[in-house]
Amino acid sequence: SRSVADRVTLGVKGMTCGSCVQSIEGRIGALPGVFHIQVSLEQSNATVTFDHTRQSPESLAEAIEDVGFECSLTNATSAP
Amino acid sequence: MTHEFFVDMTCEGCSGAVTRVLKKLDVKFDIDLPNKKVFIESDKDTDVLLETLKKTGKTVTYIGPK
Repeated sequence: SRSVADRVTLGVKGMTCGSCVQSIEGRIGALPGVFHIQVSLEQSNATVTFDHTRQSPESLAEAIEDVGFECSLTNATSAP
Repeated sequence: MTHEFFVDMTCEGCSGAVTRVLKKLDVKFDIDLPNKKVFIESDKDTDVLLETLKKTGKTVTYIGPK
């Protein structure tokens, strides 16, 4: 059967330092159904590996907005 | 009533995040980035304000009423 793990890259605006990166990684990484998150300051994005039965690209984007950063699904790319 | 909070902000991005979460709460506030302080004018419970600030993932401490 298919794995429950999905991966998505979301655009994140407003991050300027390592502390911003840590805030997002800490909060999103602790959500139920999130296996791994990597935030890139240079590329202004976050790549999240998650359980698609518990989270969705939309719910993850909303969670990042909740932390206080602008998050877009426009250039979201899912792994095949 | 104005409440004073310590929020461990280090840059414009951090204060921007605090601004965004407080705007959603619809309260009057003022951010002092160099001193890592946030002043919020609100009649809401301090626990509500504290939880909102903690959403940013930063260390937050309630200093007291100002």
